[in-house]
Amino acid sequence: MKVSLFQQAPYRHLPKDFEKHHDSVVTTPYFDIVKPGLMNQDLNAFISELMLGARLGFDGVAVTEHSQSSYDVVPNPNLIGSILAYMTEQEKLDVAIAVVGRSLGKSREPLRIAEEYAMIDQISGGRLIAGFPIGLSYDANQNAGIPPIETRDRYYEGRALVEKAWSAKEPFAWNGRFSKYPSVNLWPRPVQQPKPPSWVPAVGNPKTMQGVLERDDVYTYLSWFGPKLTGKRIFDRYWEIAQKLGKDINPHRLAFLQVVLVAETDEQAEKDYRQHLETHFRTSLGSIPPTGLGLPGYIERPGVEGLMRDPGDLGLAVRMRNINYSELVDSRVAIIGSPETVRQQITEFVKEFRVGNLLVMTQVGSMPHELTEKNIRLFAKEVLPHIQKIWDDEGWDNFAWPERLRKKKLKPDTTAA
Amino acid sequence: MPVTAFSGREQKHRVFGGTLELTLRIQGSGPPLVYLHPAGGLVWDSVLDRLSKSYTVYAPEHPGTSADHTTINQVDTWIELLLAYEELLRDLKLDKPVLMGQSYGGMMAADLAAIFPDKIGRLIVLDPIGLWRDDAPIPLMKLVSSMPEQIPPQLFHDVGCEGARSLFTPSPDPEINIKGGAAFVWALGCTGKFFWPIADHGLGRRLHRVTAPTLVIWGKQDRLVPVVYAEEFSKRIAGARVAVIDNCGHIPQLEQPSETLALIKEFLA
Repeated sequence: MKVSLFQQAPYRHLPKDFEKHHDSVVTTPYFDIVKPGLMNQDLNAFISELMLGARLGFDGVAVTEHSQSSYDVVPNPNLIGSILAYMTEQEKLDVAIAVVGRSLGKSREPLRIAEEYAMIDQISGGRLIAGFPIGLSYDANQNAGIPPIETRDRYYEGRALVEKAWSAKEPFAWNGRFSKYPSVNLWPRPVQQPKPPSWVPAVGNPKTMQGVLERDDVYTYLSWFGPKLTGKRIFDRYWEIAQKLGKDINPHRLAFLQVVLVAETDEQAEKDYRQHLETHFRTSLGSIPPTGLGLPGYIERPGVEGLMRDPGDLGLAVRMRNINYSELVDSRVAIIGSPETVRQQITEFVKEFRVGNLLVMTQVGSMPHELTEKNIRLFAKEVLPHIQKIWDDEGWDNFAWPERLRKKKLKPDTTAA
Repeated sequence: MPVTAFSGREQKHRVFGGTLELTLRIQGSGPPLVYLHPAGGLVWDSVLDRLSKSYTVYAPEHPGTSADHTTINQVDTWIELLLAYEELLRDLKLDKPVLMGQSYGGMMAADLAAIFPDKIGRLIVLDPIGLWRDDAPIPLMKLVSSMPEQIPPQLFHDVGCEGARSLFTPSPDPEINIKGGAAFVWALGCTGKFFWPIADHGLGRRLHRVTAPTLVIWGKQDRLVPVVYAEEFSKRIAGARVAVIDNCGHIPQLEQPSETLALIKEFLA
C-alpha cells in the first residue's frame, strides 16, 4: 500500500465558539477572525509538516483545494505542490506529489490547470499525481458562481481539454461549450505521458464512480462522514460497479483519506488530541451549511429524491456542528491511539474496503505545530513500515502511481526522526 | 385558498427544431394570456384561476420541470430559451397575447417583450428579477442556499398568511413531500441555469424596446427583490404603470390575491 501524508491548512487560532457564530466557508469574516502574523505562521507550519513527512519515508505528500474557507486555506493547491516539488527534488526525496484537488467543475480557465500540473510534473521530474474533483458545490457554485447544473458538464469538457492539451503532438483549436481557444499548445508538457495518474475525490454518486472506473482513475474517498457508517455502503457500491464494468479488484483503484492521531498510549492520545479533534470537525465540515454540499441543480432530480429518502451516504456530516469526541472515534472519522491501536484499526479497514492508496491526515483544527510533528514522527516510525507492506502478497501493479516511483521501495529515514 | 387545484388540460408541444418538448397547462376560454412561472416551478393559484374565467390561460412549464427532468439539457443559453418560447407562441398561433410573469418568469416575459416587441399584446410583471443595482443587491444566492425552514420569510411579508401556509404546509404523505421537495429544488436548478449567480442578461439595456402597454406590480415589503426595482423597470418602459401593494412580499398573487387580481383586471379592461 502507498501511504501519503495529506495536510490541510486550517487557520489554527479560531475564536472559541466559532461554530456558533460563523460558517467555515463562503461568508466567514476574515478581518474579524485572523490575527496578524498567525496566518503566516500557520501556512509555514503546514508546509514544514508536509516536508517532514517527505523526509520520514511517506510514499507521497498530498494537498487539496479549498477557496474562501477557514478550515483549509489553500485556494490553489498547486502553489503548495510546486514548493513541495522543488524542495523534494533538491533533497532527492522520491515521493509522489499528490495534488488531490483542483476543481475543473468550477474553473473558467481549465488550461491554467493543465499548465500548472505540467509545471509541477516537470519540476518534480515526473512525480505528480493529478487530482480532478468535480468540485464542492458551495465552492463551484457560490464562491465561483458557476450555475450548479453546469458543474458536471464543465468538468467533463475540462478534463477532455486538459488531457488533449497534455499530449497532443500538434497545436489544436478547441471549440467547446465553455472554453474556446484558437490554438492550444502547452509549454511545458508533463513528463508523464500521455498523462500523470489521475485521482478523483468524490462522495457516493454512482455516476461519478462509474466514470472513475471507466477511465481507470482512482476513486478517492474521505473518512469524514464516518467510515463505520458510510464505508461499507460506499465501497461495496464501488467494487460492485467495478465488477459490472469488468474491471479487476486492484486495491490501487481506491484511495482513502483517514485522520490519524498517534501517541505513546491510548490514554495519552485522548489527552493530546481530544479537544483539537472536536474543534476541527465542528469548525470545518460541521460549519459548512448542509445545503452548500448540493445547491439546486448540482444533483439531478432523481438523486435529490434518493437523498431525501435515504440520507445514509452523508453519515455524520449533518451532525458535525455539535459532534463530540466519542462519536468521531466510534465512527472512525478519526483513528486515535497508541501505535498498536492505530496499526490494527488501519489494517482492519484497509483490508475490508480494499484500499491500495492511503492518505493520512495528521493535523486537525487547532492542533499546534509541535504536536503535529510529534504525531508525524510517531506514525512514520511505529506505523508506516507495517502498513506499507499491505497488499504486497497480492502482487498488483500500482498503475495509479508515478512510474518513476513504482519500482522503488523507500526505507524510512530514521536519522531525521 | 391562494394555491388552487388546476382543472384545465395538459398539452405537450415540440419546439426548437423538434428537440425540445414543452409541457403546457391550459385552462379557461377567451383571448390568450400566457403566464410564465417563477424559479421554483409552476404553482396554480387563485389569480390564474379567476383570470381563466375571461381568458385562456397558457402556462408553459420551464424546461426540466416537467415529467422528463432532462429536457433542460436541450437548452444551452438564455437566448435559446427565449427563442424556444417565441416559437411556442407562434406555433400555438397566440396573436399578441397578454404576457404575464412572476419573478424569474417576469424576467423572461420582460425580455421576450423587449426582443419581440411586435409579438406581445400586453405585459404584466410581478416582482421580476432581471436588473441589478449595487445599492440594492438581490439575495438570490441566499435564497437558493437556504434550509427549507428559512425560505418562507424571504418570500413572504407575513409568513402566517394564507398564501404562505397553502404553499408550505407539508402533506401527511411523506412520499408527496419527497417528490414535491425534489421537484422544487430541481426547478431552482433548471431555472438557475439562467439566473445564476446574478440574474442580469443585459435586460436593462434593451427594456426601452418594449412597446406593449405594461403593468409592473410589486410587493412593498419584497425582501428578495426590493421595491426600488419597480421604478427601474417602469422608467425604462414608455408609459409603464406601477402598482405597489402594501403588506406584501415577493409573491403578490399568493400573499394579496384579491388586490393583485383587481389590479390586473383593471389594467386589462
